[in-house]
Amino acid sequence: MSELTTAHFLFLSAALFIIGMVGVLTRRNVLIIFMCVELMLNAVNVSFIGFAWEQNALTGQIFALFVIAVAAAEAVIGLGIVMALSRRLDTVDIDEVRQLRE
Amino acid sequence: MAIEVLIFYLLAGVAIAAAAGVVLARNPVHSAVSLVLSFVNVAAIYVMLRAEFLAVAQIIVYTGAIIVLVLFVLMLVQQQDLPEFHGGRPLRRAVGFLLGLALLAEVAAAILTRSLRGAPGSWTPEAVAAVGGNIQAIGRELYSVYMLPIQATALLLLAATIGALFLARPELIEERLAIARRLFTISLAHPRGVDPLQPVAELPAPQDGQLKLAGGDRALVMARSAEEFTEQPAWGEIRR
Repeated sequence: MSELTTAHFLFLSAALFIIGMVGVLTRRNVLIIFMCVELMLNAVNVSFIGFAWEQNALTGQIFALFVIAVAAAEAVIGLGIVMALSRRLDTVDIDEVRQLRE
Repeated sequence: MAIEVLIFYLLAGVAIAAAAGVVLARNPVHSAVSLVLSFVNVAAIYVMLRAEFLAVAQIIVYTGAIIVLVLFVLMLVQQQDLPEFHGGRPLRRAVGFLLGLALLAEVAAAILTRSLRGAPGSWTPEAVAAVGGNIQAIGRELYSVYMLPIQATALLLLAATIGALFLARPELIEERLAIARRLFTISLAHPRGVDPLQPVAELPAPQDGQLKLAGGDRALVMARSAEEFTEQPAWGEIRR
């Protein structure tokens, strides 16, 4: 691999996504789980832009733009839920949260 | 080996190492700083991929807005005893790493045997340069072909704003009092103190246990045994 191919970017994307997934599966702090989800969304963007670069198309870049917008909305709602959770249950440990009702 | 491949390996290596730092750091603030490092390196890779607008948007939205929001919430909900998060759960970690390795092998096989390729699009580097650059090209595409999705995105952001306002509203006084009673009731008889998992409605009236205020609005339960105490309401209105 002496020059850049799409496979380089796909492997980078896969590595970032899987690191984020392992974080979601193994950590207990809900804020770190949240950051790992952001990492996974970002990894998907790398794939989209890599494919757009390979295909000389802009669709991948525009999809990545929408992913960034949805990630921003998700961040706002997710952090609001974290705030409400910590105020009500006084914890950010995901193992302590067992029920949806109060 | 071409110089751009070396630059890619440098950027990708730092991005992956920083992503591993997000997962491995003990302090959530260190995780957030690692995440910034990872995002900035990925933004540099976007520039290599001729996506300059997205590189800028990545830095503004992710590292500018989202990380600042995460750090604010982190400071607001931060607990003092962090190390308890790291105790135990070796099985969960083993399962997480094994699943990660299995998925990595699977995706690597998929990437290496990839053969299906679509027809190349019309936005060659020359065509992008002809309309004035990456931002102009994205703007033309976004506001003609993708007009409806971008309006739906505007609605989504509005809904998210309203939802965040609802979630972060101040609590009612009654709710706050109920939580305070739940958290600050002291039992002299029950070794575990109050049991917040007992529902209110199914509790019978207290028989011999007395309830009085210990000053500072904390309820003090006087009971002769643990069984007597568990008949007291654990939250809600204090019965007198």
